[in-house]
Amino acid sequence: MSQQEQVANAVPAYPGLFTEAQDGVHLMSARCGDCGTHFFPKNHQQHRPGCSRGPVDEVLLHRKGTLASFTTLHYMPPKPFKTEKDITPFPMGMVEFPEGIQVVGIITDCSQDDLKMGMEMETVAYTLYRNEDGQSVQTWGFRPVK
Amino acid sequence: MRDVAIVGVGMHPWGKFEGKNFIDLGVDAVAKALADAGMKWEEIQTICSGIFIWGGNAGHLSGQYIASVFGETGVPIVNVYAACATGSSAMRTAYMSIASGQVDVALCLGVDMSPKGVLTAKSDNPQQDMDVLRWRMVGMSNPPYWALECKKRMEKYGTTEQDLADVKVLLSKYGSQNPNARYKKLYTRDEVLDSVMVCDPLRLYEICATSDGAAALILCASDKAKEYASKPVKVAATTIGSSIYGDPTLRISALSAPAKAEAPLLSESYSASRQAYEMAGIGPEDVDILELPDNSSWHYLQYLETCGFCGEGEAEKMLAKGDTEIGGKVAVCPSGGFSSFGEAIGAQAIWQVAEVVTQLRGQCGSRQVENARVGMAQTYGLMGNSGTTILEV
Ligand SMILES: [Zn+2]
Repeated sequence: MSQQEQVANAVPAYPGLFTEAQDGVHLMSARCGDCGTHFFPKNHQQHRPGCSRGPVDEVLLHRKGTLASFTTLHYMPPKPFKTEKDITPFPMGMVEFPEGIQVVGIITDCSQDDLKMGMEMETVAYTLYRNEDGQSVQTWGFRPVK
Repeated sequence: MRDVAIVGVGMHPWGKFEGKNFIDLGVDAVAKALADAGMKWEEIQTICSGIFIWGGNAGHLSGQYIASVFGETGVPIVNVYAACATGSSAMRTAYMSIASGQVDVALCLGVDMSPKGVLTAKSDNPQQDMDVLRWRMVGMSNPPYWALECKKRMEKYGTTEQDLADVKVLLSKYGSQNPNARYKKLYTRDEVLDSVMVCDPLRLYEICATSDGAAALILCASDKAKEYASKPVKVAATTIGSSIYGDPTLRISALSAPAKAEAPLLSESYSASRQAYEMAGIGPEDVDILELPDNSSWHYLQYLETCGFCGEGEAEKMLAKGDTEIGGKVAVCPSGGFSSFGEAIGAQAIWQVAEVVTQLRGQCGSRQVENARVGMAQTYGLMGNSGTTILEV
């Protein structure tokens, strides 16, 4: 299956959080034109006091950032988290993007031993499970840049 | 504003009580508080109750359901919610009712019966309830939030796994002497370090459990307090804090945080504690007892700094020197803390205040802090809420 077909066969577990652009997966953010704050999710607005609250423009975060912190989870998160099978233990972490925002996500394609604070990470799509139509239900994730 | 004192405290022990309901626990705590104050139910002029979030409509009207057991009297009942700082909101509401001169006597209560296992989302409707996204998209229950901050602390200040274990060792010493605690076992450092890794670097015994429990306080105008208590405990301050823009904490429920700090870490708690110091006219150096929200070993260390008991990165030193022990500079969680009790969301802030009152009255037996005059209870709840209460005798 080509890369294109894979994308068509995937759906996000919730829309409006990440998207596939030409160069890969990006988190969908929004930036306030007045106070300059970036938001994620884009509708979780947290303006600076005194800001006129806009205009707020939707923007994509850089694909790459640096690892600000990480942990490994040794228990399966409760519902509504859903995966095909037990994925524990799995790492999750916070990635700091050049826009000045840190975002949390599952870390994939590596083990905790490969992780170091400050290392370069990239945003990817992470498949949680397949739905009844055979589509990959996805969230965002991060992995070390090779 | 007039002075307010606490004249009655009551608590249902913490634990798991399958077969009971929240009303059973709440009634038990309130009955004990009334008995403690030697007060009749009909003397209560207002009720401020923490919402019991897992109890549907009844739980959201916890004050009404508990009051009806004692007999409905038509007094104002206010049910409040502020996540794990729910009790702080109830406490401040009760305090303000008296301080403003509207009533002389107020009951403040909180109860929780936690669902089994790890807490999870309260809806499956991300359009309205943004909290759902952290569960659905990342599997973020509460411990990873703490672990991610703890890891940053280790990197920044060199906090060790031994430091994290030593917090549990000390808290277990106090919990083992508290009859109301759920966990009474004493732990050694090796036992804590041998416990299973839950969320690196936090191990099982370094994270608080979720418990059932209830606590109640009776507040009274200070000029009438002697009618009910031989040793009334003065409420020197009770405050609510919320977050400050630019706080770099990855707050529970959120999926992002600012990369550049423009406000203190845990700014909601910084804010609540600084308001309280100002209101009470004291500083952390005057505090003999501190009940802080030790949801994990990281919280214990971080809150010493957030509340100004030491400088940034100095909490481990305080712990190692014995400054946080009974007999040290400030007795931290002489109750045994959440570590020995477990969280009971709507009840824990009120329970912390009840523990401080019991200490200031000198009723804590083998874990009594000698000559304690000033005690502080500090809470913290998700998405930027916190409360501080300072008590004096
Ligand atoms: Zn703005």
